[in-house]
Amino acid sequence: MPSSPAPSEDSGSAAVEVRSLSKNYGKVEALKGIDLTVGRGEMFALLGPNGAGKTTLFSILATLRAPTGGAARVLGMDVVTHRDAIRRQMGIVFQEPAIEQRLSGRDNLMLMGLLYGHTMSSAKKRASEILAQLGIADVADRLAKTLSGGQRRKLELARALVTDPRVLFLDEATLGLDVDARRMFWGQIRGLADEGRTVFFTTHYMEEAEVADRIALIDSGRIVALGTPAELKARVGGGVVTLKTDNDPQARAWLRERGFAVEEGGQRITLVHADPAAILPDLLRNLPVRVERAEVHEPSLEDVFLKLTGRGLEGGGGKP
Amino acid sequence: MMRAIFAIVILDLKRFWLDRARLVAGLIQPLLYLFVLGAGIGASAKMGGGDYRRFIFPGTMGLSLLFSATFAAITIVFDRQIGFFKAVLVAPVPRSAIAFGKIIAGALQSFAQGVILLPFAPLAGASLDLVQGMEMVGAMALASLTFSAIGVGFACRFNSTTVFPIVSNAVLLPMFFLSGGLYPLMAAPHWMQVAAHLDPVAYAVDLMRGAVLGIHFFPVWLSLAALALTITALAWAAVRVFNRGEDDSSLGATNFNWRR
Repeated sequence: MPSSPAPSEDSGSAAVEVRSLSKNYGKVEALKGIDLTVGRGEMFALLGPNGAGKTTLFSILATLRAPTGGAARVLGMDVVTHRDAIRRQMGIVFQEPAIEQRLSGRDNLMLMGLLYGHTMSSAKKRASEILAQLGIADVADRLAKTLSGGQRRKLELARALVTDPRVLFLDEATLGLDVDARRMFWGQIRGLADEGRTVFFTTHYMEEAEVADRIALIDSGRIVALGTPAELKARVGGGVVTLKTDNDPQARAWLRERGFAVEEGGQRITLVHADPAAILPDLLRNLPVRVERAEVHEPSLEDVFLKLTGRGLEGGGGKP
Repeated sequence: MMRAIFAIVILDLKRFWLDRARLVAGLIQPLLYLFVLGAGIGASAKMGGGDYRRFIFPGTMGLSLLFSATFAAITIVFDRQIGFFKAVLVAPVPRSAIAFGKIIAGALQSFAQGVILLPFAPLAGASLDLVQGMEMVGAMALASLTFSAIGVGFACRFNSTTVFPIVSNAVLLPMFFLSGGLYPLMAAPHWMQVAAHLDPVAYAVDLMRGAVLGIHFFPVWLSLAALALTITALAWAAVRVFNRGEDDSSLGATNFNWRR
C-alpha cells in the first residue's frame, strides 16, 4: 500500500522543519522563504491576517499542496516524497466541515477508521474511545447535523484523532464558535499537546494564539516574529496607553510633537511607552483636550503585530 | 486497499439508504417509457418479432441503470462542496481505491434500481426463464459498472452540481438515444449504426436485449470487450483526476481555484 519505500519515522527529528520554503501561485508569491522548527510535543500557533500565507503554509505541511521551493519535513519525513507516511501519523482539522452531516458521529468515525486500515471491530472500538475522551459519547449516535456548533467541531477533532496522530494540524479550527465553545475546544487541544502530541494550528484570533507554547507571526508570506507569547509581547517594550478624548486629531498632534509613539488611525489613540503608568498622570494633566477615557494595559499580540508591520490583524483583530 | 474500497462503498451505501425514496422516484421514468411510450408506439409497431414493450424492456432497463448510476456519482461533487472528500483524500489510501470505491458504490446503487425494475418484465410481455434471467442479471451488473464508471468519470471533473443537468442532456440522452434502446439498430441509418459502435450504452443494451430476445446486434465478445475497456479507461481517468487533487484548490484552501 505505501507508495514509496516505507520511510521510518526518525524519533530524534523535530516535529516540523521548514527551510527556505516558498510557494507561488502563478505570479503571486504566497510564501517568500519561510524557516521554522517546531519541537515534538509543542503547541505551535501560526498567527496572521487573512491572506498572509497561513493556509498555504499549513497546506504544505499537511501534505495538501506541494512547495515551489525549499523543503518541509514533518516528523523527519519530506512532505513531498513521504506524503503517505506522514498522512498515517497526522490528523487534520479543516476550516470547513469534513464530516458527513447526515450520518451519526459514530458512523463518521468508524468509516474514517476503515479508511485508515482498521478492521470493522477495531474501527468501532477506536471510535468509542475517542468519543468518550472528548466527552461527546452521549451524542455520538445522533446525526451530525443535529449537533451544536461546538459539538460538531469536537466531532471534527475526533475525526482527526481516529488515527492516533503524532501531529495534529488545525486550520482556523474554531471559526464560527462562541467564546465558551472556543475556550473548551482549546482546553482539549492543550490536553492533547500535554499527552505528547505536536499541535500546529493557524488562527487570526490573537487570544487563541496565546494558548500556544510558541507563536509565529506571519505577514505577506514572511515570518515577522517568532517566540513564546511573553517573548513576543516583550518586543513591544513596556505597555500600551489607550486614550479617548473629545478631540483626537488635536491630541494626536500634541502627542507627536512631544515625541510619543502614536499608532496611526483607529477609533482611539494608542501609544506604546516603556513605562505607561508613570506617564499617564502627566498626560492627563497636560493634554490640551478633555480625556474621556484612559487605559493602560500589557501589550497584546495585536500590539506586537501592529508594531512589527504597522497594520492590525485585520478581520480577526478584535474580539470575536 | 481492499479495506479502503470497502470503507468508501459502505459510506456511499449508508448515504444511499438515507435517500432510498430515490429508488421509487427512479422507477417513474423507465415505467413511463415502458408502459406509456411503449404501449403507444407498440399499438402501431412490431419489433423484434413481438410486443414492442418486450423489445424496449432492455432499453428502459439501460436508461434506468444509466441515470441512477450517474446520479449516484453526484455525491462526489457534493462531497467536494462540503469538504467531506478532503478528509477522504488526505487518508493514506491509494487514489485508485477511492476511484474504484466510488465506481463500485455507484454500480451497486444502480444495480439495486435495476433489480426493482426487473419484476416488471413479465408485465411488459418479457417473461424470462432461469437462464435468461441469469443472463439478464449478469448483463445488468456489467452495465451498472460501466455506467457508474461513466458517472464517476464525469463527476470528478466538476465542482458544481449545476452542470449535471447539462451533462445529462448533452451526454447521457444522446448516448441513450443512439444505443438502440427504443428501436432496432439493425434497421437504423448507417451513420447511427457507426455511431452506436462508439456508444458504451449500446453494447450494454445489446447484451441485455440478447438475454431477453436472444438476438444481438454486436457480437457478444465485442460487447464484453467494449464494456471492459470503457470501465478500465474511465476508472484510470478518474484516478488521474483524484491524483491531481494533491495540489488542488479543493484541498486546504478555498480561495484558489485556478488549477482544476
